[in-house]
Amino acid sequence: MRRISLIMVGLLAMAALFANGCKLWEKDVIVLAQGKPEIDGQLKAYAAAWAEENGVEVVIKSCGGGNCDLGQQLKADYAAGEMPDIFAINGLEDYLEWQAIAADLSDEAWVDKTDVAFVHNGKTFGFPVSIEGWGLAYNADILAEAGVDPKSLVNLSGYREAFAKIDSMKEQLGLDSVVSMAAGTEMFWVTTHHNLNSLLSNGLQYGDTSVVDQLLAGQVDSKRLSEYVDWVELLFQYADKAILTTGNYDAQVGAFATGKAAFLHQGNWTDPNMADANATFEMAFAPHGSMEAVTDGIFVSAPSFYLVNVESANAELAKKFLVDLATTSAGANYIVKEAKMIPAFTNITLNPDGQLSSSVQDWMSQGKVYSWNQYLFSAEFRDKTLAPIYNQFANDQIDKARFIQLLTEAFQNR
Amino acid sequence: MLKKRSQFVFWLFLIPILFAFLMVVIIPFFLGIFYSLTNWSSSARLGATLDFVGLTNFIESLKDPSFIYSFLLTCVYTTLNILAINAVSFGLALLVTSAIKGRNIYRVGFFLPNLIGGLILGYIWQFIFNNAIPTLGEVLKLPFLSNPKNLILASRNASVVALVIVGTWQYAGYIMMIYVAALESVPVELLEAARIDGASGLQRLRNITIPMVAQAFTITVFLTLVNSFKQFDVNVSLTAGGPSTIFMGKPMNGTELLALDIYNTAFVSNNLAQGQARAFLFFVVLVLISVVQVRAGKKREVEL
Repeated sequence: MRRISLIMVGLLAMAALFANGCKLWEKDVIVLAQGKPEIDGQLKAYAAAWAEENGVEVVIKSCGGGNCDLGQQLKADYAAGEMPDIFAINGLEDYLEWQAIAADLSDEAWVDKTDVAFVHNGKTFGFPVSIEGWGLAYNADILAEAGVDPKSLVNLSGYREAFAKIDSMKEQLGLDSVVSMAAGTEMFWVTTHHNLNSLLSNGLQYGDTSVVDQLLAGQVDSKRLSEYVDWVELLFQYADKAILTTGNYDAQVGAFATGKAAFLHQGNWTDPNMADANATFEMAFAPHGSMEAVTDGIFVSAPSFYLVNVESANAELAKKFLVDLATTSAGANYIVKEAKMIPAFTNITLNPDGQLSSSVQDWMSQGKVYSWNQYLFSAEFRDKTLAPIYNQFANDQIDKARFIQLLTEAFQNR
Repeated sequence: MLKKRSQFVFWLFLIPILFAFLMVVIIPFFLGIFYSLTNWSSSARLGATLDFVGLTNFIESLKDPSFIYSFLLTCVYTTLNILAINAVSFGLALLVTSAIKGRNIYRVGFFLPNLIGGLILGYIWQFIFNNAIPTLGEVLKLPFLSNPKNLILASRNASVVALVIVGTWQYAGYIMMIYVAALESVPVELLEAARIDGASGLQRLRNITIPMVAQAFTITVFLTLVNSFKQFDVNVSLTAGGPSTIFMGKPMNGTELLALDIYNTAFVSNNLAQGQARAFLFFVVLVLISVVQVRAGKKREVEL
């Protein structure tokens, strides 16, 4: 009996040593969970170099794209007590989910070097991962051949004229359709994460949420909405019907990259796809023409932000990781040259290679940008309520009047 | 003494599986029921606490048109799928147990789709429906097939049929194997005696073969029922729940089966507790239907 208790005590002591004593011979570890699988390799390489330099270990978990959902993964990690030290969010709705554990980053060295950090109630919480933007991407060669001046593409009437003209010359230009647009169920994000923003922020000052506030209160500006619906109708009308209703991302981007469509409703994240498809033509972004009034600017923002987990034992180390990412030349090189993103920090002077990314930077340098307000609505509202309405319209199941009515009701009964 | 010892060994061998069963089935099951009665979200919302909310999640689920729609749709899909799979697989089983040449190759060939994961299968068929069929229509000059207005996955009803086609293609081979085993155990004497008595092929099938394999029917209908009811992976990859439809005046996803609705409630709407409540309702309905079906099936079985 005594022997058994001796063994038990020994085992307990060992267990205690393992539980608490790991740090005696192991390095500090910070875990970063992010949602862009396409930059996984580059981020791992940068993190490994940084970890080496600082004598710690950095683990990168990438979860995104078609087969992994970061928000869902974070919930599983949180329930299991393994919340990462740094994790990515998309905007306000995501932030509210994790508000209780988001560290206040207002005093960090990178805060005064960016305009697009995630700020809530006057405090900075989110480190901007990059800058992304979209307008309507156009194939400049085709537009030149058709005699359309991209500068005229700033409002509804400009687009009406241009679309009609290009549509009449489709055979001559070798086009299948004028604009490559997707509104299938799988591609709900093109309509309710991107196109919807034309209604919410086009023509407004950067950061102006007046339209969103009205809609959140259930008040619908019917003039603004009906002009916006004209824009949606125009895009749907001149789109390739097969891509519009059933096409996936590859089909939509592919049609533009191979010169089968003159316009593409996507953002600068398609640059690597263009390179893969050897698209050599000149391309750039034109503003969305969702209003009769001239709206001379494109939609630009940080698409995701890193939050630091305040409950983490290594929160200070995690903050240093972010500071170094924004302020060192190795960090700048990773952001711009390796991950091919547009930097969100003014101290970084490198330029990305892609044509569409350059176009976004052009618009930014002229100050002609509108904000992303779509994340002020919940994912549930956009994906489960609005997306089926767009899909009904794209599939010709409902007419324009009914489309307007359903949108209005959706905002009123949200 | 010996008996006591063997009892001990009996339980010793059972412990690993009992432990696993307890950890991954029993405990999560009751935890799930507990969570479905709370406002659990598994996130760090400000000021969020785990509160007991009674049956709110269940009541809200039953009031939600998209849950009702998914439930009805799943019933329709399950009915169509049971009919299609069993008809096809019984036909295939008759084919590969007949004297046809190369029947072993057929057996393997028909079984093969079952070895492909449902997600991949869905993407393959999505390509067939979205790209291969329209292209075929262009080549063969059949404008009906190439017209984008007739795309199968662009229409709600056709998409449900597409789900049934893919489900059948995936599962018929597996069910066929069960039928093959049953058909091979039908005593040859009975069939021979019937033939000598002058019974036609169809008569032999109806009066001897089918009653003799009724046991297999109970199993296959049960398997196809449960499998169709739980369909998720093909649903996600083939249609992703679309195209949309309008039900009870509310626009919603038109081919969202129950499992996908539960998933979307939990992870798109960020409402894990209500997703759990729906999963529990799903479980209860599935158990009820299965018990009724197995009871009814047992009555038809014939023992020699």
